[in-house]
Amino acid sequence: MEKTRKRSRSARPHRIWCALGDLKPRAFALLLDWASWGYVAYGVIYLLNHYWYKVHVNYYGTLTVPSWGWLPIVLGTFELAVLGQAAGQSLGLSLFGLKLLTTARDYPRPAARLGRFLWWHVSALSFPIQSVRLVQGKSLLHDGMSGTCMFALKEVKQDIPVRKPRRWYFSFRGLVGIGLIAFTFWVGWLTTKIDLGMLFGRASRSVYLWKDLVRPSFEHFATIDPRVGDTFWGATILGGLIQSIYMALLATLLGGVIALPLSFLGARNIMGFNALGWIVYTVTRAFFNVFRSIESILWGVVFAVWVGFGAFAGVLALTIHTIAALGKLYSEQVESIDPGPLEAIAATGARRWQVVLYGVVPQVVPSFLAFSLYRWDINVRMSTVIALVGGGGIGQILFYYKNAVGLIKNSWNQVGAVVVCIVVVVWALDYISARVRERIT
Amino acid sequence: MEERYYAGFMKKRPQFMSSLLETRKRVTVFLVDVVAILYVWLTASYCLTMLFLHGEGVAGLPWWAIIVAVEATALWENLGVSIGMKLLRVRLVAKDSGSPTLVRRLVRFLVWHVSGLPLIGILAMSGGLAWHDRASGLRVVRSEEVSRVRRPLYAQSWFIAVALLVLASIATAMLVTGVNFRAFFSGAGKTARIWAAFLRPDWSILGDGIRLLLVTIFMAFMATFFGVVLAVPLSFAAARNLTGGWIGRPVYFLVRTTMSIIRSIEPIIWAIIFIVWIKVGAFPGVLALFVHSVADLTKLYSERLESIDPGPVEAIRATGATQLQVILHGIVPQIVNPFLSFTLYRWDINVRMATIIGIVGGGGIGERLYQYTSLWSWSKAGTMMLLIMLTVWVMDYGSARLRERLS
Repeated sequence: MEKTRKRSRSARPHRIWCALGDLKPRAFALLLDWASWGYVAYGVIYLLNHYWYKVHVNYYGTLTVPSWGWLPIVLGTFELAVLGQAAGQSLGLSLFGLKLLTTARDYPRPAARLGRFLWWHVSALSFPIQSVRLVQGKSLLHDGMSGTCMFALKEVKQDIPVRKPRRWYFSFRGLVGIGLIAFTFWVGWLTTKIDLGMLFGRASRSVYLWKDLVRPSFEHFATIDPRVGDTFWGATILGGLIQSIYMALLATLLGGVIALPLSFLGARNIMGFNALGWIVYTVTRAFFNVFRSIESILWGVVFAVWVGFGAFAGVLALTIHTIAALGKLYSEQVESIDPGPLEAIAATGARRWQVVLYGVVPQVVPSFLAFSLYRWDINVRMSTVIALVGGGGIGQILFYYKNAVGLIKNSWNQVGAVVVCIVVVVWALDYISARVRERIT
Repeated sequence: MEERYYAGFMKKRPQFMSSLLETRKRVTVFLVDVVAILYVWLTASYCLTMLFLHGEGVAGLPWWAIIVAVEATALWENLGVSIGMKLLRVRLVAKDSGSPTLVRRLVRFLVWHVSGLPLIGILAMSGGLAWHDRASGLRVVRSEEVSRVRRPLYAQSWFIAVALLVLASIATAMLVTGVNFRAFFSGAGKTARIWAAFLRPDWSILGDGIRLLLVTIFMAFMATFFGVVLAVPLSFAAARNLTGGWIGRPVYFLVRTTMSIIRSIEPIIWAIIFIVWIKVGAFPGVLALFVHSVADLTKLYSERLESIDPGPVEAIRATGATQLQVILHGIVPQIVNPFLSFTLYRWDINVRMATIIGIVGGGGIGERLYQYTSLWSWSKAGTMMLLIMLTVWVMDYGSARLRERLS
């Protein structure tokens, strides 16, 4: 709906925007290639450090790139990216759906590819001139001189000559994908210090742990453990569970209520009518993304300072994350509604808020409820560990017993009891919320 | 309920089974209502005790509460539409599907004491007709079969009950979690320092931060990688439509149960166990994420497997293909893209989880971040948070775009 309106207002955007729009995937493809080569360079340096520097030079040191070394790395990876694109096979081209062909839409000969690569440098150095040519609608220097051009794959799919199809693992994508995953696996194995010998060698030492964990002791299920605290909610398993559930409930309700109006501000089809709406949309979406990217435990740290240790801090921490997460889910739901009823209501001359109230709200209520239930589920699970930073709930007693291992008797049995209770509650809520969600959607 | 065929020639369920199912449904409706009433009672008495008696005396239910709740439920279900009836979609109508009169409702309520409560009803129920149904001439039917004028929401008893439930829950939640508005508004000043420091991050630790960030991303990658390797075969064993017979079904239940137990324990708790097992570092963090990923991915994958299109599978089976060939050519092409997109999604979650698993000693950037916050060096913590935000945002955006292309 919004798109058709836009088009009717201005026939075609200015040619600068057209030129930039064509250039965008090319720029992103180049950046992606550069980043992936940079990643490979990082990995190579890491492996050099691990297999050569630590072994032959200095075990306690780390191989660091000298200050003069950065320039060749940065430029070299860039050159590699450009070379890959001129060769016509690269991750960026493949992901952004670009194809390097001659202007006659045939595969370029190696000489033309080499020419393109060399001319690219001239063109990059004369960037100001190139941007003027771009605005004038002329082709870029390296495109023109080599007689090649980047096409969008979907435009030229019919025209390009068919090559013999290869098995996916011999295709460019497959090879690069397997190569990158294998390389990442290698570097990741070393970085995260995976030590299977340790895992299996110490397995026998963890037997006592498992033995205690599977023999839970429900001593303090409903009776207060004075070592942990003096309140029912803080110092018993049952109280902690109830508190966790209510923390999650309050956070979900509060978060949902706040996310509800925000989600309409973050929906493109509601806000995308004018510049102001677009700004509000972008700001709301950015807010969602920023606040969603920080886990609620980290928010717990801030709120423990703000309102003091306790369940309330946990509630607030969960709420912040819930607002962002639900806001995103809600607004995506609003964006995917059927525009038919909206247009029908708008055609009766209704105001914008009336359109939203009668056209949008009835369509989104069931899925909003389902998302909220789903979120409650997640919040219950999060609230079991938010006590780690002083957020209250069942985690309080869990982490007390865990930290008291060796200090008090059968603490692992107590931990086991808490974990069993968490499993039962989370499981039950999961089941109930899944059933209820099935019903309402 | 969809029409199912039993033993080839019977179109309807055997009567014994259908009356058993009917009974189960009615008992569920009844239990939901009793629990709802008891819950409101309990929470309301807790709130009143806390608010007016300042927590003196124990908030609990007297033994006769259960009798009152059962009677109230019976009355409620006979006179109106209860929560349970709304949830399980049943209604009470007259035999000739008209609107029941008050007298009939009351007759049903009274006879119910004889037949419903002592569960004689179950025995007396032949074809879903208990004594109280016969005596009053009323029937419990599915709400789809009833057409009636809709009353406004606020005039329906189930809605009022839901509102009461929500209100009582909010009040209880506020009391249990110790909501403190005064602290919320007066304490805001205490965090001024934190926000100010977050706005001026300390860039001197940027190099260290990036290094740890890479460790975090690799942790997530390794956990996801191992998780996929294990979850793919497990998901076939956990898909209801692919497991059958004397071996398959127990395996299905075993895998499903184990996975949902593992999944309901947060990775942080797994990390604690693995740290005791191995030692502090990134490796136990990887293991914790891995264990949780396996369980989560198995669930996602197997749900996807359960919804595959059986057409191609049957077509390939009809050509006389072996079980392996059926899986390879009938199932795999259908699931590759969804599996990839689930994997990306899980990697995304793992990166976010990996940033906090360091709090208990699981390595990565979270460990350093938690150290800084414990020392109240907020500007350093701010740098770390910025890095985390940037990474999570990029991952989130990238994986969303990729998933869009995959689907």
